[in-house]
Formats: sequence, C-alpha cells, structure tokens
Amino acid sequence: MTTTLWSATVLVCLLMYVVLDGYDLGIGVATLFERDPAHRRHLLESVAVGWDGNETWLILLGVALWAGFPLAFGTILPHAYLPMIVMLFSLIVRGVSVEMASQAPPAPRWTTAFGVASLLASFAQGFALGTLTSAVRLRGDVYTGSAFGAFSWFCVLSGLTVTAAYTALGYAYTKHKSAGRLRNSAARRGAVATAVAGVLLVAVLVAVGSTAAPLNLGTPGRAVAFAVLLLFAAGGGGTALVGFAWRRTSRAADTLPLGGLVVATVSVFLALGVARYPVLLPPDLTLGSAAGPHSTMVFILVGIGLNMPLVLAYNVFAHRAFAGKFTTGAEGHEAPTTQGPLAAGARP
Amino acid sequence: MSLLDLSRWQFAITVLFHMTFPAITVGLSIFLSVVYGLYWRTGRAVYLQMFRFWRRVFAVGFAIGVVAGAVITFEMGLNWGVYGARTGPIIGPIIGMEVVTAFFVEAGFIGVLLYGDGRVRKGTMFMSTVMVSVGTVLSSTWIIAANSWMQTPAGFKVVHGRFEPTDWMRVIFNPSFVWRWPHMLAAVLISASFFVAGISAWYLVKGRAKGFARRSMSIALGIAALLMPVQLYLGDNVAGHELPYQLSKLEAIEGNWNNGDTGFVLFSIPDQQAARNIAELDIPCLGSYIAKDLTCKTAMPGLKLTPAADRPDMAATFWGFRIMFLAAVLMFGTTFAATVLRLRNRLWTARRFHRFVLWTTPVGILAILGGWVTAEAGRQPWIVFGQLRTSDAVSRLAPGEVLFSVVGFSALYLIMLVAYVAYIVRTMRIGPERDDPGQEPPPEDLPDTGLAEEGVPLEPVPPEPVPLVPVPLGSREVAAR
Ligand code: HDD
Ligand code: HEM
Ligand code: HEM
Repeated sequence: MTTTLWSATVLVCLLMYVVLDGYDLGIGVATLFERDPAHRRHLLESVAVGWDGNETWLILLGVALWAGFPLAFGTILPHAYLPMIVMLFSLIVRGVSVEMASQAPPAPRWTTAFGVASLLASFAQGFALGTLTSAVRLRGDVYTGSAFGAFSWFCVLSGLTVTAAYTALGYAYTKHKSAGRLRNSAARRGAVATAVAGVLLVAVLVAVGSTAAPLNLGTPGRAVAFAVLLLFAAGGGGTALVGFAWRRTSRAADTLPLGGLVVATVSVFLALGVARYPVLLPPDLTLGSAAGPHSTMVFILVGIGLNMPLVLAYNVFAHRAFAGKFTTGAEGHEAPTTQGPLAAGARP
Repeated sequence: MSLLDLSRWQFAITVLFHMTFPAITVGLSIFLSVVYGLYWRTGRAVYLQMFRFWRRVFAVGFAIGVVAGAVITFEMGLNWGVYGARTGPIIGPIIGMEVVTAFFVEAGFIGVLLYGDGRVRKGTMFMSTVMVSVGTVLSSTWIIAANSWMQTPAGFKVVHGRFEPTDWMRVIFNPSFVWRWPHMLAAVLISASFFVAGISAWYLVKGRAKGFARRSMSIALGIAALLMPVQLYLGDNVAGHELPYQLSKLEAIEGNWNNGDTGFVLFSIPDQQAARNIAELDIPCLGSYIAKDLTCKTAMPGLKLTPAADRPDMAATFWGFRIMFLAAVLMFGTTFAATVLRLRNRLWTARRFHRFVLWTTPVGILAILGGWVTAEAGRQPWIVFGQLRTSDAVSRLAPGEVLFSVVGFSALYLIMLVAYVAYIVRTMRIGPERDDPGQEPPPEDLPDTGLAEEGVPLEPVPPEPVPLVPVPLGSREVAAR
C-alpha cells in the first residue's frame, strides 16, 4: 500500500518534470533555430524566470526515488552513468548561461551556450530513459556493469524522440507567451516538431518490442488502458497540430498547442508505465524489490507527501507572478535596451 | 589511481565547488532581506540601490549553486551507488524534506526577487526576499542533519547491510547535529559578511559611491563583529563534542602521532605511511590552554591510538582545520579592529584598513571550505562513521567512465569559476551608480517594447488573485518614488 502510494508520487514528479523542464529545455533548443538576436534573447529570458523551479522537479524526482526505492537509485544511476553525466554537464552550462545572459546582456556567446546545452541535455535525458530497456546485472545489492553495456541504438532513438517532444513543448509555450513575428514562427516550427515527435514515437513503440524490456500487455486490463492512453496521446497531438495551425490571435489559439502537448506527453508516459509496471529495470529489479522499509515509507508519505500541495502552490505562484504575454522589448526592434525580462524593474 | 580515488576526487571537487556558492548566497539572501526591509520602512533610495547592486552579485552565484547542487545529489547514486542503496532509507528522506521545504520555496520566490522589482508591490517584494532566505536557511538545516548522521549515526538498525530508521527524532537530532548546525549557520553569515565588506571596501579605496559603500560595509562588519565571538565559542564546542564520538578525527586535527603533547601543532608535514611528522612546529602549552587547562598538563591524544586501517588522512584533516582556524583568527582580528575604529569614529578615514578589508573578501569562504575538508576527510575511512567504509560504498564503474567525469567536472567548474569572478569584477567596475534610483529615467521614457503592435498590452495582464499573496501583482509602483 505505502509502496503503491509512493510509486504514484514518484510518477507525479516525473510527469511534472517532463512537462515543466520539457518546455524550458525545448525553448533552449528553439534558440538554435532562431537567427534574430532579439528573438533569441526573448526566448532566453522567458526561461530565466522559471528554470530553477522547473529543474527542482528533477531533484525531487531523483530524491523521491532514492528515499522510497533506494536500490533503484543506486542501480539505475550507475547503469546510465555516461548519459547522466552528460546531462549534468549540460544542465550546469545551461543554468549558468541563462543567468549570465540575463544579468549582463548582451551576451551572444552565453546565449549560444544555452542553446547547445539545452539540446545536449534533452538528448541525454532521452538516451538515459532508453537505457531503462536494457538488462541490468546485480550481485546482491551491488551493480556490476560495463561502461557502454546499457547502450543500444534504441537509446539513440529515445533521445531523438524526447528532444523532438521537448522542442514541440518549447514552441507551444513560446506561442502562448509571445506575440507578433515570434509567435507566428513558433507556431510554424512547433507544428513541424510535433509531427516529427509523433513519427519518432511510433518508431519507439515498434522498436521497444525488440529490447530486453518488451511491453507487457498480457492482461485485458493492461491492453485496454494502454490503448485508451495512446488514443488520448494521439488526440492531444492532433489538438496541438490544429492549435499551431490556427493563425488568428485568440486565447484559445495560444493555449491549445500547449494543452494538447501536455495531454499527449502525460498520456504517453502513463501508457508506458502501464505496460512496464512493476518492472524498473529488466529482468527483475521491480518496485517491490527496490522499496525501502516501512518506517521510511511512512515518514516520506507524511513529510514529503503532505508538502506536495504547498510545493504545487509555489509553482503556481511563480508562474502567476509572470502571467500574461512576456515583454522584453525584443519584438521587431533592434537589440533590447532593457535588462532582465521586466522593463520597469530590472532596468540598468 | 584507483576507481575509489577517482570517485573521491570527483566528490571532493564537486562538493567543494558547490559549497563556495552557498557560502556567499545564504548570508547574502538574508542581507538582501534586511536591506529591502530597510528600504520599505524608510523609503530611502540608498537602500534600494544596495538591494539592486547586491542582487546582481547574488543572482549568478545562486544559479551556479543550484546547478552544482543538483550534481551532488545525483552523485550519491552515480558514484556512490552502494551507499545510495544502503543509506537511502535514512539520507533519502532527509534530503527529500530539504527539497520540498527549502528548494521549492527558494525556486518559487526567486523569480520575484530577481525580476519583480518595480513590478510587484514592495510588500510582495519583501515577502519574496524573506522567503528565499528562509529557504536557504532551511536547506542548510536539513543538509547538516543528513551529514551529521553520517558523522554520528543514531536511531537506526542494520538489516541485511541496509540502514533502516527506528527513531526519526534520534536520526535527525543526532549527537553532532546540535553543535554543527549553529556553527554552520554562523559560518555562512560570516563568510557573506566578509564578501560584502570586501567588495564595499573597494569602492571606499576608489572613492566611489561612498554612501552605498559605507552603509554596506557598516552592516556587514557589524554582523561579523557580533558573530565572530559566538563562532569561536561554537567551534570550540564542535571540537569538544568530537571527543566521545570521533576520536580518530580529533587526533588527526591535533596533528600528533603519539600521546602526550600539551602544545598546539602550528605547522606539520605528516607522513601517513611511517606514522610520523617529517617536520613540525609546535607552540608549547597552547593545546592544553585550548582544552581550558592553564596548568599545561592536559595532553592531546595521538593518531596511533587508532588502528592503522581506521586512520583518516592526517594531512588533509590537519590542514583543513588549520586553514579554518587561521582564517578565524584573521577574521576575529579584522572585526575587532573595525569595532575599535568605529568607536573612535575613524572607520571611514582609515584608508589602509579599507585596503586590508578588500583582501579579506574570500577569507570566510576559505574557512568554510577548510572546515568541510576537516569534517569529511577526518571521517575517513568511513562513509558512515564506524558502520560503512567508503571503499565498500563506491559504485563499481569502469575507471574510464569516472575519469571522463572527473576531467569534465574539473574543466567545467574551472571555467565557471573564472566566469563568475570575471562577472563579479565586471559588476564591480560598472558599479552601483547605475542602480541608484535617483538616476532613473521617468516612466514615460521607457523603451518602446514594440509588443503593442498586435494589441498585446505593454503591462503584464493583471493576473487573477494569487492564493498566497492577496496583492494584485500587476499593480506597478515605480520604485523609490
Ligand atoms: C550552507 C548550506 C548548504 C550546504 C552545506 C549544502 N548546500 Fe546545497 N544549497 C544550499 C545550501 C547548502 C542553498 C543555499 O540553499 C542552495 C545554493 C543555491 C540555491 O539555490 O540553494 C543550494 C542548492 C542545492 C541544490 C539545488 C537546489 C535547487 O534546485 O533549487 C541541491 C540539489 C543541493 N544544494 C544539494 C546539496 C547537497 C547534496 C549537499 C551536500 C553534499 C549540499 N547541497 C550542501
Ligand atoms: C557542502 C558541504 C560538504 C562539503 C564541502 C563536503 C566535502 C567533502 C570532501 C572534501 C570530501 C572528500 C574527503 C576525502 O576524500 O577525504 C567528502 C566526501 C564525502 N562526503 Fe562530503 N561534504 C559536504 C557535505 C556532505 C553531505 C551533506 C553528505 C551526505 C549527505 C556528504 C557525503 C559525502 C560522501 C558520500 C563522500 C565520499 C567519501 C569520500 O570521498 O571520501 N558530504 N565531502
Ligand atoms: C577557531 C574557531 C573554530 C573552531 C575551533 C572550529 C572547529 C571546527 C571543527 C572541529 C570542525 C569539524 C566538525 C566535524 O567534525 O564535523 C569544524 C567544521 C566546520 N567549520 Fe569550524 N571552527 C572554527 C571557526 C570556523 C569559522 C570562522 C568558520 C567559517 C566562517 C567555520 C566553518 C566551518 C565549517 C563550514 C565546517 C564544516 C561543517 C561542519 O562540520 O559543521 N569554522 N569547525
């Protein structure tokens, strides 16, 4: 019972992270396709106000796994060592360059570093997710593997898929938060990214059958849930495409792509969860075998679980404080003269 | 170099790099709260100027602290997977509490602190700044609880090699936590004070922005003067309470191999293999005095009391402690001199003193790093003192993998450190003059953002009421007016 509740908490952290940092990494990738320095700056600064909070979900995801499923934490991380390290390198560069570029503009090189690091981090995350499909070797509670043992072409596919999906989320967020030319180009490119992510996802679903962790749809319950969730995902993706194509400026046209993609992302992860449960790493590292003792589960369910509503409230506060279209003075003019995202407050 | 050594070097490098930034930002966030509070109460422009300038210094340090902190958390599983799996039921929940009670608070309010000035009400601004500092203090609390448990484990049982909690109160309020927590808190306040005082002193030396610099330096040195004596008392107790729990660490700190020395070893080059000091400089009787025995009879225990297999590396422990200790003496002297100058009304004319204070900018940070080297190197060869050896806790990775990450982190962190220092120097050169609200252009001269073209309002859309703060965030006050 406690194990199930805690698995649900870990899953919530994963979904929050993928959606929130997904848009934020995706905006980073989007800066690489953007020529106009003012637009690049606008993109970067729309990340500056929120990246810290978004990334905190990654920490919570890691620590929630550690606290509740210590064996999984101590096994999955060494298993995915190299992609995780590359992800950490990229997150460092990214966090520092966002702050450098928004505190001391103009900083074209920091902005480029931000884009490249976002791309690498997205790919590394997808790659690391992909390693969850390769078999693990354990001796007692000690991981024994080789440096590249967890790697396969499936990891590359997974990395590409995640990168495309994040990029689509980034464009959806940008369409939601910007105006004018930037909004229109985000809509065009967002549609392309969504389509690419969709195609790659189909490839992933086909290919996963030939890894060490094929989908388990043995019972009717699983099969039905999986199919329904994938339908949701398809619906979300379709909605996003329609939303991106909608040129008129209206609240709906600016919210639909984001809403659709969030539904699609969440559904895909839930579907994969349904088809994997309760295996964490094949063949036999499961939620049950990795779970911590009862005294720990009670402590974290009370201490961390009861804090979750508060945590969500801080997130809402942080996003509400900067609600509405984002203004940097970047649209259609020469390089912005303002400093920081807000014209009035952070003026030099 | 073995896999274990590589993982240890990586951990030491990454954790010391991380610690450098909380050593600046925890205290600075409290300083920002004080300064903004003063501005809110008095409406004086200089406080807003101070807030804006020090916020620039804070912002980038905070960001580096965040990303470097994330690295450490994952290393607990990446490089110390066996440790992660075995201590997870105890350390995991404590750090989990840190994430939900501290990191999310910081992350939720940092956006307003950094970018809300002039856009939200002064009350909201103040509240957000205070919340960020509350977050940083809570975060230090939990992390010290976790680390102290590794130093003096309590309230657990071992089942199949795994540590399982039996009494959470004893886990969290473990024996060393009680003294180390206030010691750490005072440490970060002191280090930030010296950081602020040093940078302010530069403006006094240059004769720039005097009003700003005097007030900053006055507050900073005042706080340090109050805390330094407290810190010496706390530090003495931290050391004193080590005796019953971690004798081997205390022996290494003292720097003697054999029992019986009543002096204080000031300088030494220990030879771990031969269990002797190659060179040594000893102040007679001082060790006994520090142990509060003025008759020069109390002798220090030597490291040979501990079996060779359980000895920490003396050089690291000894020198880590000496760096902290000497820095403490230097800082105590500085605050003492400042207080004397202040009482004699000469603090603003003593040019040589300003130049000296400029050089003490990083001393607090060095003390903190030295303190951590003492604490952690002195705990070796145990990762959980007396229970789990560091060599048993390391992930069985390929050495090549770890070499890759050590080299990568070292290079990256070196670049980040250089970039941060360059940024601070550049921010200092530009100076607080631009942050003076008296210099602001009137609001009508705001640069045209051009976003109005599609009917997008220039002002942020006034959001619906936010549950946490009953203030319409869109209402703009032009600051300092
Ligand atoms: C003196 C206090 C102190 C100490 C001893 C440590 N930290 Fe720290 N940490 C902070 C004080 C702090 C902070 C001031 O709260 C930071 C710095 C910047 C920030 O956002 O919070 C932070 C950030 C920070 C973050 C990023 C938080 C975020 O996403 O917002 C993580 C994951 C850690 N730390 C983890 C650690 C670990 C695993 C440590 C020990 C090995 C550690 N910290 C030592
Ligand atoms: C920010 C504060 C900290 C600093 C500066 C610090 C510093 C260090 C240093 C210098 C070492 C290397 C010691 C050696 O190799 O001889 C070390 C080791 C270690 N510390 Fe810390 N530490 C800090 C806090 C913590 C905390 C809070 C934890 C756990 C929750 C922790 C866990 C470890 C582990 C697992 C090792 C590995 C053992 C080793 O490398 O020898 N540290 N730390
Ligand atoms: C002369 C006065 C001081 C004494 C006797 C003293 C003593 C100690 C001792 C014995 C430790 C090791 C604790 C352990 O085993 O875990 C320690 C750790 C530490 N000290 Fe000090 N200290 C003094 C001054 C300072 C100052 C001035 C600072 C910083 C401004 C500082 C910062 C630290 C830090 C950050 C640690 C590591 C964290 C910890 O272990 O609590 N100390 N100190």
